[in-house]
Amino acid sequence: MQLEVSVRKQQGDFHLAADFHLTGRRVGLFGPSGSGKSTLMHLIAGLRSPDSGTIRLDGRVLFDSRTGIDLKPEERRIGVVFQHARLFPHLGVRSNLLYGWRRTPAAERQIEPEAIIRVLHLDHLLDRGVNLLSGGERQRVALGRTLLTCPRLILMDEPLSGLDEVLKLQIVPYLNAVFSRFAIPLLFISHSLEEMRLMTEQVLVVERGAVQQQLPTESLAPAAGTAPAPEVVNRLRLGRPEPQGALWSYPWGELRLLLDRPAQGDENLFTLDGREILLCSRHPGATGGANLLACTVAAVHDHDHHLRVELQCGTQQLSAQLPARTGTEPALAVGQPLFALIRAGAFQPPG
Amino acid sequence: MLTLQPADIDAILLSVQVACAATLLSTPVGIAVAWLLVHARIPGKALLEGIVNLPLVLPPVVTGYLLLVLFGRRGWIGAWLARHDIQVIFTLTGAVIASAVVGFPLLVRSIRLGMENIDPGLRQAARTLGAGPWDTFCTVTLPLSGRAVLAGMTLMFARSLGEFGATIILAGNIPGVTQTIPLAIYEYTSAPGGDRMALTLCLVSILLSFAVLLISGAAGKKLERS
Amino acid sequence: MNHLRTLVTTLATILLTTASLLQASEPIRISVPASMTDAVKELAARFEASAGPIGIVINSGASGALAKQIAEGAPADLFISANAKWMNYLHDEKMIDPDSEQVFATNTLVFAGLLNPAITGMAAVTELERIAIASPKSAPAGEYAMQALEGAGLARALEAEGKLVLAKDVRHALAYADRGETDGAFVYRTDALRASRAVILFEVPAALYGAVTYPVALTKGGATKPAARQLHAFLTGAGARQILRQHGFGTPD
Repeated sequence: MQLEVSVRKQQGDFHLAADFHLTGRRVGLFGPSGSGKSTLMHLIAGLRSPDSGTIRLDGRVLFDSRTGIDLKPEERRIGVVFQHARLFPHLGVRSNLLYGWRRTPAAERQIEPEAIIRVLHLDHLLDRGVNLLSGGERQRVALGRTLLTCPRLILMDEPLSGLDEVLKLQIVPYLNAVFSRFAIPLLFISHSLEEMRLMTEQVLVVERGAVQQQLPTESLAPAAGTAPAPEVVNRLRLGRPEPQGALWSYPWGELRLLLDRPAQGDENLFTLDGREILLCSRHPGATGGANLLACTVAAVHDHDHHLRVELQCGTQQLSAQLPARTGTEPALAVGQPLFALIRAGAFQPPG
Repeated sequence: MLTLQPADIDAILLSVQVACAATLLSTPVGIAVAWLLVHARIPGKALLEGIVNLPLVLPPVVTGYLLLVLFGRRGWIGAWLARHDIQVIFTLTGAVIASAVVGFPLLVRSIRLGMENIDPGLRQAARTLGAGPWDTFCTVTLPLSGRAVLAGMTLMFARSLGEFGATIILAGNIPGVTQTIPLAIYEYTSAPGGDRMALTLCLVSILLSFAVLLISGAAGKKLERS
Repeated sequence: MNHLRTLVTTLATILLTTASLLQASEPIRISVPASMTDAVKELAARFEASAGPIGIVINSGASGALAKQIAEGAPADLFISANAKWMNYLHDEKMIDPDSEQVFATNTLVFAGLLNPAITGMAAVTELERIAIASPKSAPAGEYAMQALEGAGLARALEAEGKLVLAKDVRHALAYADRGETDGAFVYRTDALRASRAVILFEVPAALYGAVTYPVALTKGGATKPAARQLHAFLTGAGARQILRQHGFGTPD
């Protein structure tokens, strides 16, 4: 694919100015919410028009403010998979899937419905109404529907954001299978570094309405630009605190945790970043002003760039996030007894 | 008690005829106007909305009189129609126009509500899948507004069955031609001795309205299931 | 508690005084057929000129509609009908004072409309598109018109072709013809004389319909009121006859 974009758009206080030239099959648009990546997606798809500039795909002009060209979305042959599937509620799964297919000229139909249905495992869903599908099933149908228009480019707008961790891990293989099998270029929009790493080869980093960097995905280090959102976050429900010296002691199940901040109420929510939990195989000795919990390893999940360790502390559970295996972490077999060290200042209020 | 004169049967048939005609003729226009009000960004939208809603706030007799001015032999539209040998006042056409105008705001209101509730994202999705604006309207917007359109049509039909003020002014009281049930009841109640007949016609009116509600309810459920 | 009692007493006194004041100035109510509206207005004015400012409220409409109103309890002190039928109806309902019943005017039926030399008699009427009559169920003028049409053998045809436009009373029928919305209307001679643009196209042959007589009577309630009795006496007296004739009515003499 060859995508050349040079556009300007003003929306209230927000000003978007993007200039880039993309070649390649799997590109990401990466940035925090509000950075303008969604707007950029709408401009490329033709759902909104830039105030000025040009957009060219594979040499074909989609938008040019100087010559007045502004192709309508149905003319651009660009497919979009939206964040919330946007399946047509009055049509069944089969009709949804074939909606775009029926509107694609026969000459352009390079993908057969049967192939898509097989790859995405939609056979048993074909006769269902869309309102009874699970989140993951909806996204697969949406993906199939878009693929069946045989577009020149597919834009995926935060397609995994509405799904929980487990579903995400289930869908990604489908995405990979589809995009390697049917060679359709992909522009993947997300604020998740992990999703970028899973789905793209190069990335455009978008921030405050402008493309700040264009680089291969693997070069996108976590510290570069924005601090990525923690992958593992614990949400803890603690009770009413009592003062203990300069700190506050909260009941947590049958345990107690030390925090550096007070709270009102009988029930208080706090979040704890998984990376704040330090794991030690031996008791570290005196630990003033910090929490030391005895726990056992319940499960270990290997992700590309981090390790998630599920811990059982008495009746409570915690998830710790470690960087990918380095060889220096303690042995992590299921059932292994460990000590978890958490400083009092690591707990944050939710939101 | 329930004996009906031939004139009364005429009135019932006429009422149903007028209500059906008014509803069926107005529905496409109502859909178009509702669409305009929801989606189009034209400068005179507030004015259009005002005109559409006018019959809702005006007394029906006033609406009837305004229609008379418009469609009478010397009216703006009436004079033009007369040259083509078409007469509106004192005809079934007049009765249909009176019912249509009076019921139109109800129709548009209902359809508009339905259309506003459709996720605009669905239309965007349809566009990216290759459907043009008209295609999107026919295959996404219209089916999803189905229930609202049906509700509007039901309201309009019911309103037509009961229309009196505008009808008597524009179409007059002509037995067999424009004397609908409300006009017949009015005439019966204008003189002593007509109360029994008036009550009979009232009963018929109630039964008709029930029938309409039942049919509408059944149709609505069918739409929902599909 | 004392304050409350004073307040209630004051209010009651005010209400009762007002009520009695209203009683004292209560007008005479007379229900008249549409065709007689203008004549009765002038008669009322003449009556007040001599008898003093007694308020007279005139309620006009189709005789049948008026009779129904009185039967259902509408306040009326005098009732004039354009035929015997509705007066007899109220007589049977015991709503009127039988001693005061008296025919005090007559009328004739004509066919009026915008000038049209082709319309010279009953037969020509079938050529027209639309003809207005007062609704026969409630207005004597309509009944007389239907009698005439039936007598001339034209009623079925006109009904079948939907050419009869029913108006709520004879004045309304005249208005239809006067505005040209119908090609003509069966109205009383007295109405046609008051038309602004419509003219009498022909007189309906008297043989075709019954005599148009106007009985007047006091209602049971009106019979108890001296002012109402006075008005009744005036209406049936010589002075009234002159005015009626000026308006085009006939008088029984």
